[in-house]
Amino acid sequence: MKRGATVTETLQVVVQPGFHVNSDKPKDEFIIPLKLTWTPGLLDTKSIEFPKPEELKVGSQDLLVFTGMFAVKTQFQAPANAPTGPATLVGKIHYQACSSDMCFRPSTVEVKLPVVIE
Amino acid sequence: MKKLFCCFALLSAFVLGSCANQATSTQVHAASNRKPAPEFTLTDASGAQVKLSDYKGKVVLLNFWATWCGPCALEIPWFMEFEKQYKSKGFEVLGVSMDDDGWKAVKPYIAEHKLNYRVLLGNDSVSQLYGGLDALPTTFILDREGKIAFPAHVGLINKSEYVQEVESLLSDKRAGNSFGAAAIVLASAK
Repeated sequence: MKRGATVTETLQVVVQPGFHVNSDKPKDEFIIPLKLTWTPGLLDTKSIEFPKPEELKVGSQDLLVFTGMFAVKTQFQAPANAPTGPATLVGKIHYQACSSDMCFRPSTVEVKLPVVIE
Repeated sequence: MKKLFCCFALLSAFVLGSCANQATSTQVHAASNRKPAPEFTLTDASGAQVKLSDYKGKVVLLNFWATWCGPCALEIPWFMEFEKQYKSKGFEVLGVSMDDDGWKAVKPYIAEHKLNYRVLLGNDSVSQLYGGLDALPTTFILDREGKIAFPAHVGLINKSEYVQEVESLLSDKRAGNSFGAAAIVLASAK
């Protein structure tokens, strides 16, 4: 990508069958949301767009969740003075997953995005 | 810049391994084979230090949970009911929250859901003592001697299983009687 240019990257996330992760905007204040963050410095993160979540009822609790495969889009902009050449952008997905009868403790997965700035 | 397509699975194989360990039926450990529940000292919502061994002589439902855990929330009303129903028979529910945010998250939850039993704040050391607690809820039923009487319940189970297990231990008065007998011996020695 060229200095000053904007680009949208798509991260495909897969949740194993039978499980769900909370959406980025859960209804309940106690629920841990899905978060994607990118290490600042290399590119500017202009926006992060999550898909529309599914509604899921667990007992009396109404949840907004993601299941299966879904895409998270990030719009980046390369600063006008960005160093040229190849580099790697590092992101972190913080998530909390459950099935219908158990939940797993919150966890973080690191993702790496190779970029070449011209 | 080429469009990059990242793909990864959020849930690793260890998660499925944990599920395989889930207890599926009530199977009491013979009294002679029961192992003591690992001892811990944790803080309750009032700041008091609580030792698990303080509960010796009582049947204890030891529930590891978290405020963000939906299946845990389903069980909580049952545990509140048990606390009311069986407390006079020598039974206590002890909730251990595994929330990383600590009391900041747990105290509002206790207030909102009007929990009527004692809640402690867990930590990684206690988690390791109890097998890692990768999945919640995880519940242990302890006999009056502080021993684990049934296989751990990992995940949501039927309320009737808890009732069956708790009632079977409450009707077994061996430990309670031995404490009572010791008290009588001491009283007559005076």
